[in-house]
Amino acid sequence: MTEPILSRNFNVPNAWKLSVAGPRGAYETARKVLLAMKPEEIVQTVTASNLRGLGGAGFPTGKKWQFLPKDNPKPVYLVVNADEGEPGTFKDRYILERDPHQLIEGIVLSAFAIRSHKAYIYIRGEYVEPYQNLKAALDEAYAENFLGKNIFGSGWDLDLVVHRGAGAYICGEETALLNSLEGGKGFPRLKPPFPAIVGLFGCPTIINNVETLACVPHILKNGAEWFANLGSPGNGGTHLFSVSGHVKKPGVYELPMGTPLRQMIYTHAGGIRNDRALKAVIPGGISAKILTAGEIDVKMDYDGLKAAGTMLGSAGVMVMDETTCMVKMLLVAAKFFAHESCGQCSPCREGTGWAYKVVQRIYSGEGDLRDLDTLLKVARNMEGRTICVFADAAAWPIQSYITKFRKEFENYILNHKKAGAVHG
Amino acid sequence: MGELASLDPEAQKILAKYDQKRAATLPLLHLAQDKVGCVTPEVEAWVSKWTDVPVVRVREVVLFYSMYRQRPAGRHHIRFCTTTSCVLMGSEKVLGYLKKKLQIENGAVSADGKVSLEEAECLCACEMAPMMQVDGKYYGDLTEKKVDEILEKLK
Ligand SMILES: Cc1cc2nc3c(=O)[nH]c(=O)nc-3n(C[C@H](O)[C@H](O)[C@H](O)COP(=O)(O)O)c2cc1C
Ligand code: SF4
Ligand code: FES
Repeated sequence: MTEPILSRNFNVPNAWKLSVAGPRGAYETARKVLLAMKPEEIVQTVTASNLRGLGGAGFPTGKKWQFLPKDNPKPVYLVVNADEGEPGTFKDRYILERDPHQLIEGIVLSAFAIRSHKAYIYIRGEYVEPYQNLKAALDEAYAENFLGKNIFGSGWDLDLVVHRGAGAYICGEETALLNSLEGGKGFPRLKPPFPAIVGLFGCPTIINNVETLACVPHILKNGAEWFANLGSPGNGGTHLFSVSGHVKKPGVYELPMGTPLRQMIYTHAGGIRNDRALKAVIPGGISAKILTAGEIDVKMDYDGLKAAGTMLGSAGVMVMDETTCMVKMLLVAAKFFAHESCGQCSPCREGTGWAYKVVQRIYSGEGDLRDLDTLLKVARNMEGRTICVFADAAAWPIQSYITKFRKEFENYILNHKKAGAVHG
Repeated sequence: MGELASLDPEAQKILAKYDQKRAATLPLLHLAQDKVGCVTPEVEAWVSKWTDVPVVRVREVVLFYSMYRQRPAGRHHIRFCTTTSCVLMGSEKVLGYLKKKLQIENGAVSADGKVSLEEAECLCACEMAPMMQVDGKYYGDLTEKKVDEILEKLK
């Protein structure tokens, strides 16, 4: 296994304090780079590293930064997406809570690269303890002049504000996040225009995930090539995989991109609890299509999972053993999407509500075999017709659970119906 | 309003951090709710005053987000995760036990006013499933016995 990079301080007590993180190298890279490199050089290095956004979409970070308009008179904002909410994902929480200086250093470097003097961190409202550690780290960074005016004597200023969300999954979507940060409801915006052109307060804005920005100091310290070589072709670096569910050792695992899923489950996470048989795995947060036990010989990176018909998404790996009831798991997913739809688009609002009702009916033993095709039809009607991809994401569990476990759904419906008939 | 007036200096500090006043809506609501216990019409008016956002707009925002409450919570507020990994690890049984013990349903406050319960979607601490938050603090690997111990310690 490679040396931990992003997680190197996770098990060091009090690494969220500068007194611990400082001697372990925090801000050393930022100090050097701000005095020695030009912003364009940083953008080039990050581009060459093949760093891809770790918030779910996998968009190349350097390329995104280059979308900013040249010669623009308005302020440029850097917005950090710390609204982690994708079920099955908890990696950003580890960075925020255990190593916030790593993130702040990444913000300093990235803001400098995109010539931004103001950055906001949008942190999930329910993250109380992570917020406290992040806020303490921010105050320390200001006190040491790692933030504020004339940072490291470079003549360059940066203000950083931490903004707490208030409980709405959809605010993780970048344009909903902007609306929320501006003080409104978390409604996603139509794209284009993309935030790099018209973002926060109508100004050019770069939005990046916590983990994405935490990679930046390491890339600048060790070089683009070093980072690119850590992962698989086109998928640079290591990634923090959140592994949970029926494994012996759930947790955050930092592994190279492209690590086989089987190895992740059986070697790193210790295998299935009580040595039971594996039934299914969700590889990238609740929105990713499910894989059956026979489909786990895949590489965990953007391209590998795409080839397997699913996605890396947020890299939240949820493992289900043979005792799992797929009807119940679809009920849980359908409830999630029905609760969290922002309600702006009718295919999404109505589709998620209807799907949840039909699955509830099946789960309670009042289902009919025809309900399965109804669900697939509802799902089809939600895809590709809405403002954001939440509706597509809501369709994928329905489609993949029912298609891949159709027999189980049919048996469930028939068996529970019989029981119902006996009781009249 | 006296209670809210005492927050004015803090409100001013918050406003100074933002490029536009209305961006302070969420933090001001958090601040006032922490003080008052919930978002009352007075709180909405106070936020409106500071942000220049019409009260009806503030109200829409309050209704959109799950963390803003119209009624006071218990002295301790529980968010209990009901999403995938927690269900896989047996959250339903523990939640059922908790409800029976407190004699409350989702969204209610216990008769003695001590505890309120909210069923939540994934709180992104799935490695400790099944889990809940009490006053924002994480408690994981929950069992009925562990729930007993946690509740006992609450004042
Ligand atoms: C419904 C939805 C929820 C999302 N939630 C998050 C989230 O919690 N955290 C995150 O970083 N990105 C989330 N994203 C992705 C963001 O829209 C955006 O792509 C990301 O923050 C960009 O940063 P990156 O390029 O560094 O990954 C979500 C997207 C959608 C459609
Ligand atoms: S797809 Fe759903 S979540 Fe996205 S904007 Fe439309 S209604 Fe809102
Ligand atoms: S599913 Fe319960 S914390 Fe994620």
